[in-house]
Amino acid sequence: MKKGKLPNIYLGVILIIMYLPIALVILYSFNYSKISSVWEGFSLRWYEALFKDKALFEALINSIILGILSSLSAAVIGTLGAVGMFRSNFKGKGIIEYISTLPIMVPEIILGMVFLVFFALIGLPFGMITLVIAHTTFCIPYIYMQVNARLVGLDRSYVEAAKDLGAGELRAFLDITLPLIRPAIISGIFLSFAMSFDDVVISIFVTGVNTNTLPIKIYTQLKTGITPEINALCTLMVGVTILFVLLSSWIGSKKNISQKQEELS
Amino acid sequence: MKKILSLTLILILSLFLLSGCGSNESNTATGSATNDTSGETSTSAPSANSDTVLNLFTWEGMFPQEVLDEFTSETGIEINYVNFDYDETMLTKLEAANGGDYDLIIADDYIIETVIAEGLAQKLDPSKISNHSNINEVYQGQFYDPTDEYTIPYGAGVQTIVYDPSTVTTEINGYADLWSEDLKDNLGVIAGYRVINGMALKIMGESYNTEDVSVIESAGEKLLELAPNIRLIKDDNIQDDLISGEIGAAVMYTSQVTMAKLANPDLEIVYPSEGIGFGIMAQFIPSNAPHADAAYAFMDYILQPEVSAKCFEYLGYYCTNLEAEQYISEEFKDFLTLPEDFDGETEMIQNVSSEAEEAHSKIWTEFKSAAGE
Repeated sequence: MKKGKLPNIYLGVILIIMYLPIALVILYSFNYSKISSVWEGFSLRWYEALFKDKALFEALINSIILGILSSLSAAVIGTLGAVGMFRSNFKGKGIIEYISTLPIMVPEIILGMVFLVFFALIGLPFGMITLVIAHTTFCIPYIYMQVNARLVGLDRSYVEAAKDLGAGELRAFLDITLPLIRPAIISGIFLSFAMSFDDVVISIFVTGVNTNTLPIKIYTQLKTGITPEINALCTLMVGVTILFVLLSSWIGSKKNISQKQEELS
Repeated sequence: MKKILSLTLILILSLFLLSGCGSNESNTATGSATNDTSGETSTSAPSANSDTVLNLFTWEGMFPQEVLDEFTSETGIEINYVNFDYDETMLTKLEAANGGDYDLIIADDYIIETVIAEGLAQKLDPSKISNHSNINEVYQGQFYDPTDEYTIPYGAGVQTIVYDPSTVTTEINGYADLWSEDLKDNLGVIAGYRVINGMALKIMGESYNTEDVSVIESAGEKLLELAPNIRLIKDDNIQDDLISGEIGAAVMYTSQVTMAKLANPDLEIVYPSEGIGFGIMAQFIPSNAPHADAAYAFMDYILQPEVSAKCFEYLGYYCTNLEAEQYISEEFKDFLTLPEDFDGETEMIQNVSSEAEEAHSKIWTEFKSAAGE
């Protein structure tokens, strides 16, 4: 066997395992039948049902707002935390660093319970505010870890050089550190958004009477059965995601080309 | 650098894609009893009643959207439809809210027993529910609310046996017939162990809720004799296996029976001669409900026979409204209403002591390994 064939087979198997279920969901979103194991012909009826379902869209919008708010606030807190921790050096730093990543180690169900009890205790009304606080909490570690890893790999001399040339703390942070850690922040935000968008367990405990999120809505269909409408929604979401991926890689490659041209000229 | 950035982005986005859909994929196989998802209505209407909002707390998909919309346009009460996954979650949230926040909750019988015991439900005023007399008496006066002071039933699960007469030659009249050698490797059951262990208990003439550990253990021995007939034990989509002919007979959840019967009207439904197990879902108003009047209005609204019939056809559980039965179409009648000669030999599955519970789970584990699952 030639060298290089085996890795390709391995890659192929992984890709199939990853993407076959998604392909099936897309396929069955066009199925006429209500029963998912039976193919009864092509139909767009579930898309029609989906677009008529106001409640589902409300839940989707709630989820998107929640994801954006909590990932952005986590980005601010997480980045400041990581930068601050990186610069300071004190006894017990390791312990604090460990504690700050705790929210992703603690089982979600326990976090959910704790939040429920805590918010009830301080009398905060359940709703979008409690959702954002809870989600921000478990999003911070993702940002913190990403940014921290990036900072460790950075050469301290960049910041030192800036200061040498007379830049203040703030100026050095904004002009030197921030651009260098930006990729880490952005990928942290994406990861946080995905985590927030996906969460059922914590949300179900801290949500109020008029903030249903999409995952809660889907998950609580357990009792009565999932409708193929959800397949249709999933297909649309996959489509949007692929669009984003293509867009970001297109922007990336465009910049690369212009940079190279600059270097040449 | 940019390359790494875009690679990371792609990775993250594909993660997002996977996590966004991961929870759905596994569920697409669950099939469905419903046409449409119901949910909160956003129709705003002028206020006619003193309460203009109803906070309804139950599982997703319990009501057809049109019923919710019509209620809003008729009464001007807007519905906030919020969901919980398990009964236990509902109890926790209700405890945290100290019986407030929610106006109307629909949950399973056993948890309502706890809710009432904790004082989190309020006594109903029957004078505010003009259609109260429509409720089927069979579902009244049950263990969770013996005097019917707190609850109004909404849908019941009834333990039946379903089989395909074209492939099963023996006649099935009760649980004992499932032990027949003719059904070898041809039977599917759900993983609700109190239900399945209960079949053996019922054959022995015992109660579902016996506290006697030795009786449960001998039921376990009886159950082991059933193992050769078991083809599969699963909760999800077992009706598909009956429809496709993978199994000839099944003991399954009520909503699954409805799906199976809709897909194949030739299936036979048997009310086991040994006695019938029941589970009831019921509505109650929490002790500190902010809009109790809206909750009364809603309960009364869905007790109307025509509206009720629509709800139960959508839900796929047994109709708990006697007056509504005449409006349920023929297609559904077999499996949403009890037969007229129903003798009322019923028993509900209740909470048992932890010793009995332990014995149940022990015999269930032995049965599963004997059945090769």
